[in-house]
Amino acid sequence: MFAFSEQAEKEIEKILNKYPEKHKQSALLPLLTLTQRQEGHVSPDAMREIARRLDVSPAYVQSVASFYTMYTLGDTPVGKYTILFCINISCQLNGCDELLDYTAKKLNIQVGETTADKKFTLRREECLAACTGGPMMRVNDTYHENITPARIDQILDSLK
Amino acid sequence: MADNEVTLTIDDQTITVPKGTKVVDAAKTVGIEIPVFCYHEKLGSLGCCRMCLVEVEKMPKLMTACTMDVGPDMVVKTTTERVEKAQKGVLEFTLLNHPLDCPVCDKGGECPLQNNTFKYGPGDTRMDFQRANNLKAAPLSPVITLDRERCIACQRCTRYSEVIEQDRALVMLNRGFHNEVGTFNNEPYDTRFSGNVIDICPVGALTNTQFRFKARTWDLTNSDTLCAHCGCNCNMTLGVRTNKFMRIESRPNDYVDDGWICDKARWGYDFLESKNRIMEARTTLDGASKTLPVKDAAAQAANALKKIADEHGPGSIGFIGSPYGTNEELYLYQKLFRQQLGTNNIDHKVYAETPGLPIPHYDVSEIETSDLVLVIASDPTEELPILDLRIKKVVTRGNAKLAVLNDQSTLMDRYAHLSLRYDIGAAAQVFAALANTLAGEKGEVQDTGITGEQLNSLMDMLKSSKKTTIIYNPAALTGQSVDVLKHLLSEIGKISSMECGAIPAAPYTNAVGALDMGVLPNYYPGGVPLADAEAVKQQSGENSPLEAGLSAMEMIEKANSGELKALLVHRANPVVDFPGSKKIADALKKLDLLIVHDMLETETSQLAGIVLPSNGPGHDDGTTTNIGGRVQFRKGGLKTTNAPDWKIISMMAKTLGDETDYITSFSVTDEIAKMVPGYGDISKKSIKKMGLARTAAQYQNGTKPDSAKSQPAKSDGLKLRIASYLFAHDKILDADSRLAHQFKPSTVHLHEDDAKKLGLKNGDDVIVVSGDTQVRAEVEISGKCNPGGVVLPRISDEQGVLGLAGADGISSVEIRKA
Ligand code: SF4
Ligand code: SF4
Ligand code: FES
Repeated sequence: MFAFSEQAEKEIEKILNKYPEKHKQSALLPLLTLTQRQEGHVSPDAMREIARRLDVSPAYVQSVASFYTMYTLGDTPVGKYTILFCINISCQLNGCDELLDYTAKKLNIQVGETTADKKFTLRREECLAACTGGPMMRVNDTYHENITPARIDQILDSLK
Repeated sequence: MADNEVTLTIDDQTITVPKGTKVVDAAKTVGIEIPVFCYHEKLGSLGCCRMCLVEVEKMPKLMTACTMDVGPDMVVKTTTERVEKAQKGVLEFTLLNHPLDCPVCDKGGECPLQNNTFKYGPGDTRMDFQRANNLKAAPLSPVITLDRERCIACQRCTRYSEVIEQDRALVMLNRGFHNEVGTFNNEPYDTRFSGNVIDICPVGALTNTQFRFKARTWDLTNSDTLCAHCGCNCNMTLGVRTNKFMRIESRPNDYVDDGWICDKARWGYDFLESKNRIMEARTTLDGASKTLPVKDAAAQAANALKKIADEHGPGSIGFIGSPYGTNEELYLYQKLFRQQLGTNNIDHKVYAETPGLPIPHYDVSEIETSDLVLVIASDPTEELPILDLRIKKVVTRGNAKLAVLNDQSTLMDRYAHLSLRYDIGAAAQVFAALANTLAGEKGEVQDTGITGEQLNSLMDMLKSSKKTTIIYNPAALTGQSVDVLKHLLSEIGKISSMECGAIPAAPYTNAVGALDMGVLPNYYPGGVPLADAEAVKQQSGENSPLEAGLSAMEMIEKANSGELKALLVHRANPVVDFPGSKKIADALKKLDLLIVHDMLETETSQLAGIVLPSNGPGHDDGTTTNIGGRVQFRKGGLKTTNAPDWKIISMMAKTLGDETDYITSFSVTDEIAKMVPGYGDISKKSIKKMGLARTAAQYQNGTKPDSAKSQPAKSDGLKLRIASYLFAHDKILDADSRLAHQFKPSTVHLHEDDAKKLGLKNGDDVIVVSGDTQVRAEVEISGKCNPGGVVLPRISDEQGVLGLAGADGISSVEIRKA
């Protein structure tokens, strides 16, 4: 069964306070984000719980959640670090494909997978709004721009 | 030109339409078609498919005609080169991944995508890549199939779920190229109204599983008919091929259904092919059961009734009709029993409703212009689904307020601005208190579960409304409370600042018609009371019986005591549907003669000496009167060699000397128009297409009760409220029904306090007991009613809940652990 952590509950209280009762469904994205952070994924159970709190249908929660790539729907958590490679035009022109391949090989997984030690999840992503610094990758909330194989080694090795 | 109108030009035609009209609808008024996919009149604008692009002078870009309001002096062009190029482009794009399924697609022949492509599309595609493949034929529910390849993501179906059903069960999932229709966690989309998405899907993505690959649409013979399952009388089309039932579709009539039907209409017609159908007449009168021609059985039945009436007096025979019969059947039966058998022992119900209202009888469409809807003791969602949609519509998309006064919580509470819950059994007292308060006297609400303040806020809502529709379910009002309600209605009618009307919303298909046709022990057709002998004689002739008849329950009692010797039951199943159940069967067994005229075998038909077959809806023509008093024609559709009910009744009448020849059901309708006050304007022609509201009898009826004396009696047990459930497992929806997924387990709803006292928790298996009747149920502690009561939805015939009820519908029950 899914339950929000104590700390998440405090956050939720703050979040819900921002919206008038009638429009509490506006808290949907923040609550999904809290869930993703807490669990590493968003399970059907969690969606049901969010739906209940915001008085919307679970289907609506799934509809919104599935629109965004930052939520991992299903029952499998992502790794401790999610690496997102922008594959849109600027990064593409600057060689993101090779860098993505390089990273996959280095982690010994396919794009879209999670390493056996549950440390890294590697994914393609659409534009991450850092075109001036392409090629780029995002590791959890940190943007790394103008990356090279050497930088990638350095960054990944530094993550514990 | 009025302020609220706009004049514009579309393709050189100047037109004037109401402000706020969308260009696409304005064009339609002068016969100009602008192609659409996502736009649907009842759903409103979205603008996602771009099919409706038009050129508007002074606007640089093409505009979507479905999102654009008409503007003064606007000049719209729908056939320019630019528009045509855009239409071709949109269609080429829409068809990029669309499979070439038309030859095997159920939508073929009636498909907007096919039609638009044919009319406006490019002849070819420039797409060189492999078309995307996707899931074909996935069940979206047990009755709907989704073909993902055909979906053009127009969002009509998901918006229907959001805007019309308002439960957002069907949604768009994922993004961009992966965008698809779906439900939460792949659960089935099995709402009450799910089937309408099939009708509005502009492609063959959502199809009726029952109809898949059964027939090409152009090979169907369609009859414009009505649903026969509840008092809404929604309009629908019955598709037939080689005299086989194929499918049912909605057929919009804004006066009645606003364009929708519920799933009971669409998939509740398996009874047409039920193995349980009564196809032949049979009799046991001369010993062992044997079949005989219908004509002979009708004659035998009529003669036998006459003989008993002659021997024991007309009071010894009786007729129990059905609120599911057509006006023609009801009218002819009461005529047979009154004019030829001389008795007023005629009834069709076990609750205390009377014909006529002290205020106008509102048509369902009046709800749309009301600013207050007051729902009393009615649960539209479970009883009259399409009424539920209409109420939700005016409350959430219009400006109407909703007030609910009920003894059980319903889905309506979710939409209500004020929702009052009185104790089960306290209805009369609450109505009296409200009436008294309105009349400026003191209203006592002690021990009713609601407070004086609550009552005052309801009164304030009434007083500040300009137009109010009051919807009440007489069948849920036990004892004489409906009488007090009528008094309340007349008090509400006195509020001078407000127009108001009522809709008597008994769930049964033709409950209003049955009252109007005088299938009552104390009223002749048109609500003419027996007491008014002059009027009766003038209407129905000098020899009309004037002695008060027995009500349905009284007939059962007299059958039990032996005073009633013979009974004819038409399309009703008292053994299961009347309070007392088992006791009813015992009483019926004592009759010298029980004649059952019905469509399906029932617990009652099993007891009958003579059984007459009834074709029923789908076969027989006739009219019904819906809850709004609108009379409409219910066409048959399927052919049969069995005589229609009206003819069988006429055979009986002829056996007894009647000479009237009826050629079609409309011959009976014409007689009704002549004989039944209020039905004068009803004719084949006048009710064509939209039906016609009959004129309701208006009475200052209802009695002002002495509120001090009408305190609900205190009793030890829990007060029982039996709730209706349209999708119940009965004879119409049998075990083989396509709607079996809507069947529910037997559940008893308890208040927390009572559950605590009884040491019960959610999910406990219990027995609900009254007298020697026991009903098994699962406990749900739901706050559905106030403490001291229980709500028991009637979910199947087998469950036998009516056995718990007292003759007047009131009863107390005990709950024991199973
Ligand atoms: S299933 Fe039909 S109605 Fe629903 S989005 Fe697809 S095409 Fe439109
Ligand atoms: S609401 Fe009633 S009349 Fe309308 S489709 Fe459903 S069962 Fe039939
Ligand atoms: S019909 Fe206008 S955009 Fe779809």
